[in-house]
Amino acid sequence: MLNRRRFLAVLLGPAFILVLALPLPPGGAFAAGLEVRAEAFIQSMAQEALESLTQQGTSREERIKRFRKMFNAHFAVRSIGKFVLGRYWRKASKDEQAEYLSLFEDLMVTSYVDRFQRYAGKNLNILKTRAEKGSAVTVFTEIARPDGARPVQVLWRVGARGEIIKILDVVVEGASMSQTLRSDFGSIIRQKGGRVSGLLEELRVKTASLKADAGN
Amino acid sequence: MSWHPAHGRHVRVSTLVLVVFLVLAGGCATMPDPGDPEAVAEFNKVNDPAEPANRAIFELNRGLDTAFLKPVATFYRDVIPQFFQDRINDALDNLRAPVIFLNDILQGELDRALATAARFMVNSTIGILGVIDIATEMGLEGHDEDFGQTLAVWGMPEGPYVVLPLFGPSNPRDTIGIVVDFLVDPFNLWASNSNRDFAVFARTGSRAVDLRAIHMEALDSLEKTSLDYYATLRSLYRQRRADEISNGKGSANLPAPGLGQAPIDDGQPPPSDGIKTSEKTLRIR
Repeated sequence: MLNRRRFLAVLLGPAFILVLALPLPPGGAFAAGLEVRAEAFIQSMAQEALESLTQQGTSREERIKRFRKMFNAHFAVRSIGKFVLGRYWRKASKDEQAEYLSLFEDLMVTSYVDRFQRYAGKNLNILKTRAEKGSAVTVFTEIARPDGARPVQVLWRVGARGEIIKILDVVVEGASMSQTLRSDFGSIIRQKGGRVSGLLEELRVKTASLKADAGN
Repeated sequence: MSWHPAHGRHVRVSTLVLVVFLVLAGGCATMPDPGDPEAVAEFNKVNDPAEPANRAIFELNRGLDTAFLKPVATFYRDVIPQFFQDRINDALDNLRAPVIFLNDILQGELDRALATAARFMVNSTIGILGVIDIATEMGLEGHDEDFGQTLAVWGMPEGPYVVLPLFGPSNPRDTIGIVVDFLVDPFNLWASNSNRDFAVFARTGSRAVDLRAIHMEALDSLEKTSLDYYATLRSLYRQRRADEISNGKGSANLPAPGLGQAPIDDGQPPPSDGIKTSEKTLRIR
């Protein structure tokens, strides 16, 4: 027994070290690489929004469809949704979690499609990027306002895992989307006696009314 | 519409009585079960012990807004040409400069104080009493400061969330700030010393309409898309205030969802969250 274990250790030890050593390029270069990728990612998303959302004569239904596709492709929807639900995520049943994530996506898509479209044709300037803890980068941008007033300061928190790169949070003039939603949802759940099902009821009503909305 | 001072005082007294009544009737937020540490932590983080009373005042403010301010601001936004709206906004901004200057100094921000002073001189002269913000055109951009921010820089905690009648979202620190800024404002001093109280009312009234018009779109979409408008504004007020206190430098440090593993999955934000977000605040500018 003992021999066999030692044998395995001798055999696997170096292999394990090899595996650990391989995917680690020098730290600095890796971080800088992510910052460049994050900038390019935000820039191309702005371009995509411009192309797919601002065409004249596109129905709101069609814009919602396109925006949903963009949202799922570029935002870490599940991570954001879990963060927003906070400690109540664990209290929710599997079914509740699944329905919550689907309603959360609906809410995001229907409430941001009009705002996104209003800004989509405007210049987005990348000011700087900053590496954060973990594989995350904050991209600092300013976006021109439709009415020409002082540009809006928008920070994009971007995370990467391997080749995948996604938006984790958007901070507009100091206000974080995920923090604000977390306060909003948390307040509803507390009013419903700590039940996630109470939040789901409210979300169903809200998303239905936002879908039916003609937009503005 | 004519404004009778006596009538105005009457309105204020009855508002006050109503507010006191609502506060007494609303009482305090129910304490969480002390045996549930997560619920207690959440209660402390929300930091709104007078929530029922605050919600009552919030609804009162919303009613007043719907009845008076919003219709006037909508008319102003839709009928007055953008050019004139911008001139009015610039002039009202310029009137704030002395208070901003004072707060720059009190915060030890001498460069910003100099910028504020230079802007005030340029805009009040070449800019024709502030009507045209020439300084920004010259590359001297403006910023805002107030005594609430100064107190924060001095280390005073914000205290619990409070909704003030008419003024809206606030906290004890920012309430002191509003009062002090009002008392030291040279324009207000001049008006009260020369029996021109109407000038203060005119300025406050036009500022209210100006800001309401500017934030119309943002507030409308928040009201429409949020589940709990009150809680959303409470969170935004704190976040905005924290951003203003740090002069826009702190906002990137917010806790955020992570990709993949860890702190977010248990729903407990990183430890820094408590400090950062409790400082966080929608301030209407």
